[in-house]
Amino acid sequence: MGKRAAICAVAQVRNQPEYPHLRFQNMLLECFESIMEQTKVTFDMEKGIRNIITCSDDVFDARTISNNGVTDVVGAHFRGEEKMAQESINGLGYAMACILSGHDDVVLFMGHCKESQSESRLMCTNLAYDPFYCRPLGMDFRSADALQAGEYTEKAGITDEQLAKIVVRARRNGKKNPYARVNDDVDEKTVMSSPMVCDPLRALHCYPVTDWAYAMLIASEERAKEFTKNPVWMAGFGSCMDEYFMGDRDLASNFPLKNAAARAYAKAGVKDPKKDIQLFELSDHAAYQLPLWAEGVGIAGDGKGGAWIDEGGPDTFNVNLSGGHLNGNPLLLGGAARAIECFLQLRGEAGERQVKGVKRALAQAAYGGAGQHQAVLIMES
Amino acid sequence: MAHGKKNRNVGIIGIGQTKHSSHREDVNQPEMMHEAIAAALKDAGLTMKDIDCIVHGNMELFEMIHQPDLWHTLGTGAGGKDCFRITTGGTVGITIGCAADNLVASGMYDIVMAIGFEKLQEGHTTGGITNMADPLWFRNLQTGALTGSKAYDLIYEFGEERAKKVSMTYRIIMDKHAALNSNAHRSFGLDFAQADDLIKNSPKLVGDLKLIEMCSQSDGACAVIFACEKKAKELSKKPVWVRDHITVHREEVFNIFGYDDKYPARQTQRFAAENLYARNGIKKPLEYFDVFEMYDPASWWGVDWLRDFFLLKGDEAVKLVEDREIMIGGKMPVNPSGGVIASNPIGATALLRVAEAALQVRGDAGAHQIPKPVNHALASGFGGTMWTVLMMLEKELNWQEA
Amino acid sequence: MAEYWGVTVDDIFDTMQERFRPEGAAGVDAVFGYDIAGAGKWKLTVKDGAMKLEKAKDLAGCVASMVSDSETFVGVNMGKVDATSAFTGGKIKVEGDLGAFGKTGKLFRKYAPPKKEMSVKDYLADMFGTVVSRFKADATEGVDYIYGFDLGGKDGGKWTVFIKDQKCRLVTGIDCKTSVTLEFGEAKDYVDMILGKIDANSLLAAGRGAAIGDINIALKWGLYFEKYVDPMATGEPEQELLMLKKTISVNQAFVTGPIMGKFLNALKEKKIITNRCPKCGRMHFPAREVCAECRVRAEEWVEVGPKGQVRYMEYVYYSFPDPLTGESRETPYGMIMVLLDGCKGNDIFMHLIRSDQIDRIQGGRNEKSGTRVRPVWNEHRVGSIFDIKYFEIDE
Repeated sequence: MGKRAAICAVAQVRNQPEYPHLRFQNMLLECFESIMEQTKVTFDMEKGIRNIITCSDDVFDARTISNNGVTDVVGAHFRGEEKMAQESINGLGYAMACILSGHDDVVLFMGHCKESQSESRLMCTNLAYDPFYCRPLGMDFRSADALQAGEYTEKAGITDEQLAKIVVRARRNGKKNPYARVNDDVDEKTVMSSPMVCDPLRALHCYPVTDWAYAMLIASEERAKEFTKNPVWMAGFGSCMDEYFMGDRDLASNFPLKNAAARAYAKAGVKDPKKDIQLFELSDHAAYQLPLWAEGVGIAGDGKGGAWIDEGGPDTFNVNLSGGHLNGNPLLLGGAARAIECFLQLRGEAGERQVKGVKRALAQAAYGGAGQHQAVLIMES
Repeated sequence: MAHGKKNRNVGIIGIGQTKHSSHREDVNQPEMMHEAIAAALKDAGLTMKDIDCIVHGNMELFEMIHQPDLWHTLGTGAGGKDCFRITTGGTVGITIGCAADNLVASGMYDIVMAIGFEKLQEGHTTGGITNMADPLWFRNLQTGALTGSKAYDLIYEFGEERAKKVSMTYRIIMDKHAALNSNAHRSFGLDFAQADDLIKNSPKLVGDLKLIEMCSQSDGACAVIFACEKKAKELSKKPVWVRDHITVHREEVFNIFGYDDKYPARQTQRFAAENLYARNGIKKPLEYFDVFEMYDPASWWGVDWLRDFFLLKGDEAVKLVEDREIMIGGKMPVNPSGGVIASNPIGATALLRVAEAALQVRGDAGAHQIPKPVNHALASGFGGTMWTVLMMLEKELNWQEA
Repeated sequence: MAEYWGVTVDDIFDTMQERFRPEGAAGVDAVFGYDIAGAGKWKLTVKDGAMKLEKAKDLAGCVASMVSDSETFVGVNMGKVDATSAFTGGKIKVEGDLGAFGKTGKLFRKYAPPKKEMSVKDYLADMFGTVVSRFKADATEGVDYIYGFDLGGKDGGKWTVFIKDQKCRLVTGIDCKTSVTLEFGEAKDYVDMILGKIDANSLLAAGRGAAIGDINIALKWGLYFEKYVDPMATGEPEQELLMLKKTISVNQAFVTGPIMGKFLNALKEKKIITNRCPKCGRMHFPAREVCAECRVRAEEWVEVGPKGQVRYMEYVYYSFPDPLTGESRETPYGMIMVLLDGCKGNDIFMHLIRSDQIDRIQGGRNEKSGTRVRPVWNEHRVGSIFDIKYFEIDE
């Protein structure tokens, strides 16, 4: 890859339990206007945005071709628009491809999800399973995660106390993030006494239902300076799909994440993530995933996640200072939230959460039960 | 200009499809996709080991599977691989083709397989499309993808007799083409002599749009393998080069029915064609291209869009059809495969346009191969609220020199 | 000898030996008789796990004998006639020890007819011959339909199927007004369609078949009758195929947001309002957040209509399912694109026209006005698109 792709600007609404007064178009419009204001980008056919990547989901939106509902508010009238019908981080991987291919030089990337709209996110994710076997058994992403949690916590010796610590830390960090979901303060005792929803997952181990929308402007190296003084570079991206049936997978092995990370590291020239990367944003849909994914990206030893928590690994490696997914993002959009935090940190705009000397950051996200599909993005200032 | 200059060239090196049918009760979704993938790998002489990345696409709510790439891993062979799922609307098939082109051209992946499918018998298509409309407003009114408006337009412009005849002529040509394509869902053995009879007797759906003129609802899948120039030349004797593509969407609603010449409704078909040709220096598309695989949801649209896609005027497109110049062997063969009216597994449909156009360039289309050399081919996709995607394919890697 | 479903009484008896199941004969030591009218009499001796069958002049010495006509006997063996109802209806009698005769049920594997081509005529006889036995009475509560079948060609014929009071009746010929009649020029097309060789839409599209009357009723046939099973497809299926039928629903709470909310709320007050683009002046129906052309917020509100002129109407013959209820809509109906007074260009408002006025609607073009229409409001309005019932001609 001779050229580079840059994220030039980001915009978001606050993560909230619900937006009862706004439909997703209103939420997106706020982000759209912010990007226009920050960058002065146009939709000129020569010099402006010709292609827009969106991220949304037909089932969460309860609407066939969910991207049809956003065309007006993302500026896609008589322009190109393609929907990332997958976890949002893959939209950044694809935006990178659009730029590096030479086909586009300015891409707008926007996404939305109103998880509060449907009766149950579990009913939605149950629909991800085959209608013959897993779906009638009641599989959904949470029950799949619980199976993984059982296997991993045993392998790595993760205790209920450590999981509680992770939850308390996520909420504490979230409080410093002006765009994070506002949650009740909890202490470790509260977490450990919260109801067991899907053994061994307790209610407070799971991310809360959240509505959110965001926008990012991505440009080629040649064009980035027109839109920002501080571009953040996308240096490497990799993803990996695991097998479908739980029985065909080694759930505690991190097989897909290790592959995704290795691919992203190879492209970005990362040799030792512990040294070469200063900040990590991991998509912990449930508390046990923080140490598991930390193992997967290579900052905790294999099967050593428990000790890593006790040794203060999350703070040593600057993991999820945003509050992480656990504090609350829509399931579909965790990756965009992770990347936006990396962007802000790399630009020195992370306020109270700012870490000094961040030159390279990692955003990770997963989709499917027990992280079936994993993706990793390396970003640099 | 950014669009025309690619980081690196991309060639199509493998093409596979299922037979398209309304009776695929013998396979489930991943099994059906696997048929197309196995065929594409065989065509390319590759195995799954050679594939770096999968791009998956269809319309989720037609089968009511959330993020279906997860389950479909059973059939797509995506396990252990990079995998994207990118969708648009009816256009999705060609969108994943464009995406695969971008992913390879970027240098991020050397070999990418795009796989589109639909099992329309596992849902209700018109109901599914209607769900596209805003739940608070248009969902109660919309009539799926069915509209009689194109018939209304052409009848106004060319008179009832000529318009109905040209639409039915187009339809019969598609049927004759489908008869030559063993993968086509349906071919009735229609003949031109039946035109008047069909105009009179085929049941009406909406306005003057008749059942015989509307696309089918099919089960089927299509897989296309894209490779970077280096790999394509190593692995394939006849790579088909992706020259350029353009995607043009429209706003959320169908506010195009004012019928006031002072306020013409802009069309994505013409806009896409004009922009694509301008940046590729193509002045006379009707002369430049040797074959066109069009996403024609109904014969009326097929006739009218020829005018837009080839930048024609007045009744030039109508004449092309009347003179049967769009037949295999004609001046501009359109849909030698039989097109969408013959086979429409929606998520695969627009990728089939690319696949069939590429087969024509290779000379491997079998019974429906057109009888002249094919150097330049055009494929189109249609979906959403009148969205268009166009892709240009080339036999030789020589356009950059020009 | 007479054939029923292509099979004779002799065919059944001639295959008894090969269909005999010794494991079903354990502990049976008896002689059974068969008296089949029009075919003859047979004696079946079962002893020590073996059998012997012989033609007989009389059935003396049998512990129990079955008496039946040939058609019923073949039908029961073929699974075409329900044995219990044939017995309760007196078409089969058992003389002697009824309990002992019951043991014959386990003695044989089911009879499978030898593979041979069935003609279109055979199929039609079988398809209509099994209609009553395939009837699903439970599924027809309150249903009162008459289905006609008018199948042409040399093997064709006419049939009428009545469904009423959860009972089904088959009559040859069509002598009354039907709810729907399926007409096929060639009976073979109908047979192929039922056998799944051609799909119905293709035949309808090609004009080779037609549903005269209410096509929705035609589509409901599958709800009331079990699927026809091709007798030629006996034996083990090549694959075990199942079809899982499921309706999926996840309840949703859609919010309107301020723009759509204002627009919908105005309908409660019998007002149609729209937001105008500050740049191009375009008006939006429904009101939307931005003008997509100009990519700017449209926040200036204007009241328009409520009368206007039709610019275009979709004359809908095809019955669409309402995605919100799953119910099919009554056809034909008209969806109209109305240019409300105060609007211009493509600022059209979509709604329905009163169904009895469909044929009187003219679309406008350029300066020429289309049919003038006015909204008919619902008494009870809740802020929904159907606060307007429909439009009607303004006269």
